Amino acid sequence: MPILSLKNISKYYGPTPVLKNLSLNVSTGHFMCLLGSSGSGKTTLLRLIAGLENLDDGEIIINEKLCSKGRSILIPPANRDIGFIFQDLALWPHMTVFENIAFGLKVQKAPNIKSTIEETLEFLGISDQTKKYPSQLSGGQQQLVAIARSLVLNPKILVMDEPLANLDVKLKSKIRNQIKELTKKFAVTIVYVTHDHREAFLLADDIAVIHQGNIKAIGTPDEIKKSDDEDVRAFIEF
Amino acid sequence: MKKLLYIIVIALFFFLVLAPLLSIFIGSFIKNGHFSIENYARIFTGKTLNLLLFSILLAATVSLASTTIGGLIAFFVVKTDVTFRNSFKFLLLIPLFLSPYIIAVSWVDFFVLLGVGTDFIYSPAGVVFVLSFIFAPLSMLVISSGLTNISSGLEEAGLMMTSRFKTILKIILPLIKPSIITSLILVFVLSISEFSVPAFLSVNVFVTEIFVQFSAFYRHEAAVANSLVLISMCVFLLMLEKFYLADAPFLTVSSKAQRIKITELNRCKIPVVFFLAGYLTISVIIPIVVLIIQAFQTGAAALGKALKLLAPTIAGSIFYAGVGALLLVLFGFVFAWMTEREKIRPINTILLFVFGVPSTVLGIALIKFFNTPVLSGIYTSFGIIIFGYLGRFIFIVEKLIANALKQIPDSFDESAQMMGAGFFVRLRKILLPLVLPALFGAFVIGFLLCLAELGTTILVYPPGVSVMPIKVYTIMANAPQGLTSAMSLVVLMITFAGLALLFVGYRFLNGWTKKRCSF
Repeated sequence: MPILSLKNISKYYGPTPVLKNLSLNVSTGHFMCLLGSSGSGKTTLLRLIAGLENLDDGEIIINEKLCSKGRSILIPPANRDIGFIFQDLALWPHMTVFENIAFGLKVQKAPNIKSTIEETLEFLGISDQTKKYPSQLSGGQQQLVAIARSLVLNPKILVMDEPLANLDVKLKSKIRNQIKELTKKFAVTIVYVTHDHREAFLLADDIAVIHQGNIKAIGTPDEIKKSDDEDVRAFIEF
Repeated sequence: MKKLLYIIVIALFFFLVLAPLLSIFIGSFIKNGHFSIENYARIFTGKTLNLLLFSILLAATVSLASTTIGGLIAFFVVKTDVTFRNSFKFLLLIPLFLSPYIIAVSWVDFFVLLGVGTDFIYSPAGVVFVLSFIFAPLSMLVISSGLTNISSGLEEAGLMMTSRFKTILKIILPLIKPSIITSLILVFVLSISEFSVPAFLSVNVFVTEIFVQFSAFYRHEAAVANSLVLISMCVFLLMLEKFYLADAPFLTVSSKAQRIKITELNRCKIPVVFFLAGYLTISVIIPIVVLIIQAFQTGAAALGKALKLLAPTIAGSIFYAGVGALLLVLFGFVFAWMTEREKIRPINTILLFVFGVPSTVLGIALIKFFNTPVLSGIYTSFGIIIFGYLGRFIFIVEKLIANALKQIPDSFDESAQMMGAGFFVRLRKILLPLVLPALFGAFVIGFLLCLAELGTTILVYPPGVSVMPIKVYTIMANAPQGLTSAMSLVVLMITFAGLALLFVGYRFLNGWTKKRCSF
């Protein structure tokens, strides 16, 4: 049973179609990469999954619950059990690392906030950064804080919008490994958007190649590598 | 809950500002209970039409002069390595926060002290001269924003191919064209609506004529019809430039750092410093110094008398301006939120329309709407002054706050939303702390604008309520020049205290936010 199911979803910005009749299933615990070039509709797809935008047509089912149908958002973003890592990370600059992570836990009135945060930061190796503000952290540390902030809320699905886009090659490789470890530890399903096919091949269990608002190919990294679709080949061989 | 807040704010704004304006427009088409365009037919008779054309010419000259001076200064303080550029940037803005009539008083003082007679200053050329100094800082601010937004890459790409002069001409000027047009239109609208300076310098313009028709001859409908012509013109111009104005980052309290190309002045540095220092002397130092000289010409007696005359109005003025500024920030924040976050664009158009209404017209609208048995409670209270402030300055305050909101990524709010934080929690914990410097800046600027407001207040102030600009203005006509100057000096000191508060408070809050904000 897939944890996330998209059925014939369409989205238009004005008269321009961004996603056209797209369907996709993501299995529980899988690392799904949405791979595509700029403007292919990847980020829009994530925002629709999160409930931050309305569909124009189709259905989104998360954990067996119908969340969006047609233009209606039936379950609001906060109740979808989804964590969202934005491309700009969206760490609140006026809050410390601790306050950033504690915010969601406080809103959800979670118990043992302090120990939960300490444990998570310990695991990430940044337990000495709790009192710092985001601007005082390195790019990689900011990345980890953003991930920690989502993971402490125990989401069923974590959606990540090109989280490594602004990092240098060395740091990318390090954070990529940490993401892999984290997702295993927290047993969370990942939907990960990237335009970098190498990154997708290294991280994903499954890859969906998105081209002009639709899925061109879907499969394991090996299957995608062997795809004979012209658009897919052009993209991964570039 | 959020929608309820929007409905309450819009309904209040409609009742307090829009309904009075709409009711006078409708009323101007009714004569003896029937539809009539007689009031409008009168406008296009020789005398009124000539006055209208004269006012347009006057405002266009001011607009051109301010934009030229302001543009030149903006270029020097933003794009060059001129010495003391940050000090010039701040000091040259001062006239923007002073009451226009105070600057007019000081220039009259200047010509009196110089002993060359006052024929020049009491003339249309004098009005252009004074208003250009008043509005040049606004042009400087608008064009500075345009210049700051030019990425150094664009300019450097030009420099790789051609000379610096041609880069300015072919790349920089076209890129700041929206800012230049915004400045031209903004200053034109403000100049044609300006009441206090032409009134003080005894130059009859369209807006003073509206005041005379209403206050002296009680020809209310004629005054309203005249107003409508003016409003239509202003709104037409503003609508024409709506896209520029709606997005122009003018009056930005805090801005994203953009790497800008700084031109080295080398041998020209000293002449440019002299030019800026000279302009600062003429636009800021001379008006203040002559006010001081005139005020103390007969010792401290004039200042003592000025303080005695103004004393009953000082606390009230500060209180009304404070309440006005608070209301402006509250409405401004909600409107800014609606335009920036909810993308409810018609709000911009409505605020533009209100901004295009001349001060005296707004005063007439408020009087006619609230001077009824049911609403007389508002008409006879200081509330009517506050609502006047709201109508006059909401556009500016909303823009200040909207520009700050624009700089906060949507993802900050959305990530909190994903965690289950409700609208008011997100507002309190995420957005308000981040826009605090801008809200503070908007409050102080709103306060200074309210403190200086004359055009609307002179019409609406109820019996028993008096504010400083009214007191100074009503005494001007009969009092010795020294007393007028002394009173202006007192108002100036209070304004400076406000400016100091703005400077210190803003630096503190901005420093606090900057330390943490890297977005």
